[in-house]
Amino acid sequence: MKVRVGEALLLIGFLGITSTLLLALLWAPSVSLDAFESPAAQRIFYWHVPAAWAAFIAFGALFLGSAGWLFKRSERMWRLHVAGAEAGLATGLITVWSGCVWGAAEWGTPWDWSDVRLNTFGLLTLLAVYLVLGRASQPDGIETRDTFAGFGLYGFVLVPFTYIATRIWAIRHPGPVVATGEEGSINGDMGLVLLVGAVSFTVLIIGHMLTSMLITNSEQRLLQLQRRMDGGGP
Amino acid sequence: MEGMTYLAVGYFGMVVGIGLWTYTVVVRSRRLADRLDAMEAALDRLDSGEAEQA
Repeated sequence: MKVRVGEALLLIGFLGITSTLLLALLWAPSVSLDAFESPAAQRIFYWHVPAAWAAFIAFGALFLGSAGWLFKRSERMWRLHVAGAEAGLATGLITVWSGCVWGAAEWGTPWDWSDVRLNTFGLLTLLAVYLVLGRASQPDGIETRDTFAGFGLYGFVLVPFTYIATRIWAIRHPGPVVATGEEGSINGDMGLVLLVGAVSFTVLIIGHMLTSMLITNSEQRLLQLQRRMDGGGP
Repeated sequence: MEGMTYLAVGYFGMVVGIGLWTYTVVVRSRRLADRLDAMEAALDRLDSGEAEQA
């Protein structure tokens, strides 16, 4: 049986994120009991942060794909747009779900409508929902693609906005612990589990995007063959 | 312990979710590849049949 690169990366990534889960639950050191209402729930951080990182990669791919389709009319870039939207939806939902689980334990509520980062990230995930469901329900065509690519392009504005939100408005979402420009608040073992999680989620999302691009390519090829069979084209 | 149980349930939900998602992506890709192969084979047969008739 032929195993493709994308599928192999998906499998490796999945094993990696499952290992991260085990490391987070069984090996990563506990945090100070005074610093958190629910110290055990803090362990969800080892999935939440890498999932958010992978979501930013996916939304970056969505932006590139959208720009490539709008300005170059490239089929490959359209496939990247589709892959970025699907990957962004999956990782966005993981980030939101893990954040809600943590928020419910730590804050007593799964969502805080006054927090900028939560809401901008929620909007990003909703954008991915719209793009994925919209593509599934609309016939493929240049106008449809232009509309979705336009949303993908302008929606990307939310990515840097979300990234800097807790640096500017520290409302309820915890501030950054990595890439802060100074010594972070996580120790070596915590950093290692976080790194395993980040690498695993990156591999998983690249695997997904490669597989998704292959799926879109196959769908387009099938459509061409169908037209040829019906005698309507080359 | 209650906190760990709550967390394990939360994590379990996510693992199952990602596992199902990964599985459906792979299955979708393979089914499409199979359909593509079958369609190409059918077209080849059609083309060779037309060539013989000609």
